[in-house]
Amino acid sequence: MPQTLRVRVDRPAGRPIRIWIPVLPALLVLSPLLLLAALAAFAACLVFRVNALRAFGTGWRIFTALSGTRIDIEQDRTAVLVVLR
Amino acid sequence: MNEQRKDILDMLAEGKITADEAERLLAALDRGPTEPAPVADARPKGKAKYLRVVVHTLENDEPGRVNVRVPLQLLRAGVQLAALIPPQALEKANAEMAKSGVPFDLTQLKPQQLEALVDQLDEVTVEVDQPDAQVRVFCE
Repeated sequence: MPQTLRVRVDRPAGRPIRIWIPVLPALLVLSPLLLLAALAAFAACLVFRVNALRAFGTGWRIFTALSGTRIDIEQDRTAVLVVLR
Repeated sequence: MNEQRKDILDMLAEGKITADEAERLLAALDRGPTEPAPVADARPKGKAKYLRVVVHTLENDEPGRVNVRVPLQLLRAGVQLAALIPPQALEKANAEMAKSGVPFDLTQLKPQQLEALVDQLDEVTVEVDQPDAQVRVFCE
């Protein structure tokens, strides 16, 4: 499971933007929204006749496998870096 | 008679080696060169953890770079999504693909097959070289 999300945006003008988000506390803060999203997803599974348990299991596997993802894009003097650890 | 064979016979004649040793050396010569040693920096099979996509571009004399690292575990988890696609959606997708000239039956695509495909990815390297762009996809 990813522990931290780090985002860095370097712009030609202005100071670079650096964001560091601890994932677990962020999930706790967003838990009411996540609960609503889970209910919506459960309803969608019922409508489309998809095994909800399997769907949530797959979603959890994808979430836990995100750790180690790194996206680094540079163009001229603009750069965006997203790292999940 | 080649030079190496002559050298062996000379050493035998001079008594530097025994007849048995000469025979083994001549037999080794007949077998030819041994297999080359494996490349030292070759990556052990099955150890790849990440899929890397590296793109270098040069657009209007401005260099660009994209460096993406995706855990292979994420791809393995992602292929499980294929099992969650409703059959009616697969049928619609099949129809649209057939219209576009790609007669591919997505209902025949099983997650196990996709997982096997991901498992073999660590031996895949794709390199595209263009004057203004270089793309490299590999596993590490």
